[in-house]
Amino acid sequence: MAALNTVQTPSPRPGERDAASAASRRLSGIFGSNLVGLLIAIAVFVLLFGFFANGFLSKVNLYSISRSIGIDGVIGLAMMTVLVTGGLNLGLGAIGVCSAMGVGWALQSLGLPIAVSMIFGVLLGAALGAVNGLIVVTTRLHSFVVTLATMSIFFGTMILLSGANGFNALPRVLTGFGRIRMYGVVSPLLLIMLLVAALLFYLYRYTALGREMLAAGANPFAAKLSGLPVERLFVCCHALCGGIGAIAGVMASLRNGAIVPSMAGPLGADWLLPAFLAPVLGGTLLTGGGVSVSGAVLGCVFVEIITRGLYMLQIGEFWIQTALGLVLLGAILLERGRAAMALQRSIGR
Amino acid sequence: MNAFRRMLRSDSLGLALVVLLGGAALSIARPEFLTAYNIDVILVGFCLTVIYALGQGVIIAIGHMNLALGATGCLVAVSFGGAMQVWGLPVWAAVIFGLLIGMFCGFVNGWLTHKSGLTSFIITLATMSIFKGISLGITEAQPFYGVAESVKAFGSDRWGPLPETLLVALPIVIGLAVFLGRMIPGRQMLAFGGNPSAAELSGISRARMVILAHTLSGLLAAIAGMMSVARLQLASPAIGDEWLIASFAAPVIGGAVLSGGHLSVLGTCLGVLIVSLINQALVMLAVDPFYVQVLLGALILGAVGLNRLRESRMGNAPVLRLS
Amino acid sequence: MSRQVKSGLQVEVRGVSKAFVGVQALDNVNLTVGAGQIHALLGENGAGKSTLIKILTGVHQPDSGKVLLDGREMAFRTPREAIAAGIGVVHQERNLITRFSVAENITLEDPPTRFGLFDEAAAVAATRKWLDLLHLDTDPRTPVSRLSVAQVQLVEIAKALSLESRFLLLDEPTSSLTPHETGTLFAVLRRLAADGVTIVFVSHKLEEVFELCTHVTVLRDGRNACDSRPLAGMTRADVVRLMIGRDERAFAAPAIGTRSGPPALELRGVATGLGHKDITLQAHAGEILGLYGLVGAGRSELARAIIGAVPITAGEVRIDGKPERIRDVADAVRRLGIGYVSEDRKGDGLILAHDVAANIAATVWHRLGKFLGFVSDRMQNTTAAPFLTSLDIRTPSLAQRVGNLSGGNQQKVSVAKWLAAGSKVLIVDEPTVGIDIRSKAYLHDLILKLARDGAAVIVISSDMPELVMLADRIAVMKGFRLVDTFDNAREYTAASQRIMQAIHG
Repeated sequence: MAALNTVQTPSPRPGERDAASAASRRLSGIFGSNLVGLLIAIAVFVLLFGFFANGFLSKVNLYSISRSIGIDGVIGLAMMTVLVTGGLNLGLGAIGVCSAMGVGWALQSLGLPIAVSMIFGVLLGAALGAVNGLIVVTTRLHSFVVTLATMSIFFGTMILLSGANGFNALPRVLTGFGRIRMYGVVSPLLLIMLLVAALLFYLYRYTALGREMLAAGANPFAAKLSGLPVERLFVCCHALCGGIGAIAGVMASLRNGAIVPSMAGPLGADWLLPAFLAPVLGGTLLTGGGVSVSGAVLGCVFVEIITRGLYMLQIGEFWIQTALGLVLLGAILLERGRAAMALQRSIGR
Repeated sequence: MNAFRRMLRSDSLGLALVVLLGGAALSIARPEFLTAYNIDVILVGFCLTVIYALGQGVIIAIGHMNLALGATGCLVAVSFGGAMQVWGLPVWAAVIFGLLIGMFCGFVNGWLTHKSGLTSFIITLATMSIFKGISLGITEAQPFYGVAESVKAFGSDRWGPLPETLLVALPIVIGLAVFLGRMIPGRQMLAFGGNPSAAELSGISRARMVILAHTLSGLLAAIAGMMSVARLQLASPAIGDEWLIASFAAPVIGGAVLSGGHLSVLGTCLGVLIVSLINQALVMLAVDPFYVQVLLGALILGAVGLNRLRESRMGNAPVLRLS
Repeated sequence: MSRQVKSGLQVEVRGVSKAFVGVQALDNVNLTVGAGQIHALLGENGAGKSTLIKILTGVHQPDSGKVLLDGREMAFRTPREAIAAGIGVVHQERNLITRFSVAENITLEDPPTRFGLFDEAAAVAATRKWLDLLHLDTDPRTPVSRLSVAQVQLVEIAKALSLESRFLLLDEPTSSLTPHETGTLFAVLRRLAADGVTIVFVSHKLEEVFELCTHVTVLRDGRNACDSRPLAGMTRADVVRLMIGRDERAFAAPAIGTRSGPPALELRGVATGLGHKDITLQAHAGEILGLYGLVGAGRSELARAIIGAVPITAGEVRIDGKPERIRDVADAVRRLGIGYVSEDRKGDGLILAHDVAANIAATVWHRLGKFLGFVSDRMQNTTAAPFLTSLDIRTPSLAQRVGNLSGGNQQKVSVAKWLAAGSKVLIVDEPTVGIDIRSKAYLHDLILKLARDGAAVIVISSDMPELVMLADRIAVMKGFRLVDTFDNAREYTAASQRIMQAIHG
């Protein structure tokens, strides 16, 4: 977000004496990384809640955590794919709900087979995302305001077309799928999330497309002058976000056993917090070009554990929202503090 | 002559024409539009919306954004109601309490944004959730009904044909126009929004500008929150839930540029009027209210696109830059 | 002058050091400027001039050492404190609020008020006085966004003058001024100095320094190459030697391209969306074409048009004699084999946050990924590794972030990515700005070698000696037009005269 203030680090003109510090940097890189910090934090909180919150480690609770991780994880991963561009998608929830409604329409009104309906839903989400991307790229406006507007447009149109009526006669296969328990504690939704995560990991790590997306997001000007089709890549990122958002919408419907337009709150805005929490905790850069798929997954695990744990401690569900806000704030400030410390260390070298 | 030409170039003339033509078209299509009742509805809505729209506007002016605007208004509204119902504070004390809370929320946003050097988006996303959670937590999602009679009267009484809330809204609008147009801190804020590093080299403090703008935004959110209490006659924790889109729509329709440096108070007022006109028109034409959503979204897109076009014609937008 | 300045400030910098992430920008630097002196601060790009200026104006704080004004030690924490202490500055970067009017900008530090409100009439009157002084005939109510580059620079100078500072710092104030405007400025500066104002003047144009200044301090690699010496008695060659640490380079004599067959790149009467008109030039394989022009002449913009970042609106582009339409950058890079080493290495040349291998391989990922676009780290490293040795890129590993490399090595990386892409036409924009002397010499040799190996190289540079040394032919631009093209015999005096003639004649 070019307009917003990011920290201005004094322009470095580093010498060639990096070699000595490289080793120590690599060490501090491992221990200072989000992944290890998150793992430790997860372990600590699991122990704490397991000890103090009655029934936290019960099968029912673990199952419900695994289900939430599945859904919110996919939501977070969807947002991550567009954070790559240095932009964001406020309308992720709206796209998710619209696509789920699309699936419901295909299933119930058109009577299409399940697989076809699912593909239709994901394509619909990708198309809506691509619309965002196309507007961002052609008008060169910031994605914040573009998606603010399209969120309203998509959601409003969906309500007008559907008359705000949901689809609650889903095929039994589907409602049953949402209720499957594997080994008593694992929801198949969690596996879907892991599959999406694996695919994204492959994309960013091992494909030309993923690498080009990261380069374009990190510095669109440089990427463009290197001959990368930056505009097309950005549209792809937004479409990917929409497609994964559609998957999240269908997953949320499977949990509910019905597709309802209000499942993500007004305009789908209830997804906003989980969508940002997971990737930001996981170390995805808001300025673009830096992602961590495993970080986002762990971030989501951490958030769900906190949520469920506080719930079990009977904190009152409203205060949990406050707690999550504080977690987000804490995480970003911690990250900042660490960056500042790293800077000082290298100056005092 | 010069003044006339400047007026032609400004954002507001076209908007004023849109308001007039829209109003005229509507009153021809539906003659009952020009009834006192309808105008009253529009005015009452205007008084509230313009305050929180300006609350977002001052943040847009420095190139930031405030997602926590509605949550701040909500927290202030329930604190205001709670102070009267639970603590039994007199109205004036409850108002001061509310204003202080709003300014504190804004200060926290500004301070955190400045200190962390992160985008205000992520900071206010976090504080939005915190403020909203606190409001829901202390009320347990139930409204406070013990609102003082004088507050209720303020929200419902008319002053001649005009709503009493206009007595608050109008001075705020004028005050803010003078502040941004003629007062030094206001000019400095716009200078900072237009080019932060240049402003800093001219001795304008980054910290002071960021915190000033966010605190001002919190103050305006507080006023809007308490005005909502007066209008609804109760302090509901749902206040502020629907502010976000309109709070961006109105300043942006009024010509504000999201990268900062420019905010037209008059334009924002006209933006609010256009939004409420559309609202009213759709109600009168008996159209589904969700059309408002769609139209509002389209309006934001159209307006920012238009602003961008004008910016690049004026040479303010970089030519070679990408996004 | 409205106010007689009784005594100028005597400015002393003693043993100032400043480090940024891993870089010693200033190392024990001294500077002494007497009251009423016009003092030149010289050094190559990256020598530490800007850092020193930023310390004097409160933008940065020194790690050690002192700044003394009239013998009193000062420690500015913010620009505001420096302004209050009587320091006025014209920064190198444009620092105006483009949306504000000229008058608002000039009075930004200390706006006139009436009843607590901004007094526009007073601001306009005050502004007009300073504009008149510089013979700038612009309405103070005009928004800065409507001014030309030169007008903007003059407004910046007027803004610094308006503070009536006792110490004035000017960092490259003349970069976009005509000789006439520069003359006016110098007259004003001399009058100020006579009134006792202390002036520090930074410029690349040595002719101006000798015309205006009495004393000189030269920085080299963040240290004093000379400390506050009188200019009288020094020659241009003396100063250059201090700046680069040796005599100006003896010119190599590279092979001139054969120029047989069609040129690798040919523009015929090209016009662009940015205002270029009727540009006709040829670059042959094996040849270096130098492109000279002042800031704002449209050189980099032309380069961006050639690689497709800016639309070409008229005329014809021929590659190897074949007419081609450049659709976008991807088209120019991938199909036509054109490469562009950007002048703004950190801004749009490199992805600083990504590693060396990714930066080099970015141009060829699409070719590497054969099956389902699969690209492994190993494939990427295989592509990038040869360039570490062939270009002598000093990095601990291919996984090092480019942002952690020195300027010279960064520049080598941004050349390497075009070698990886196999570009046949390479445009190199200000290749040695901000680069230490050793890397500079290396880059010069590299550019010569590239041409000898058969690429058509276009070098854009504001550094006239560099250009005269490298180019086989020189094209001169002015106001988005080509004003002269000539074969370069690598004879500095003749070439520089011809260039100046083309620009100012």
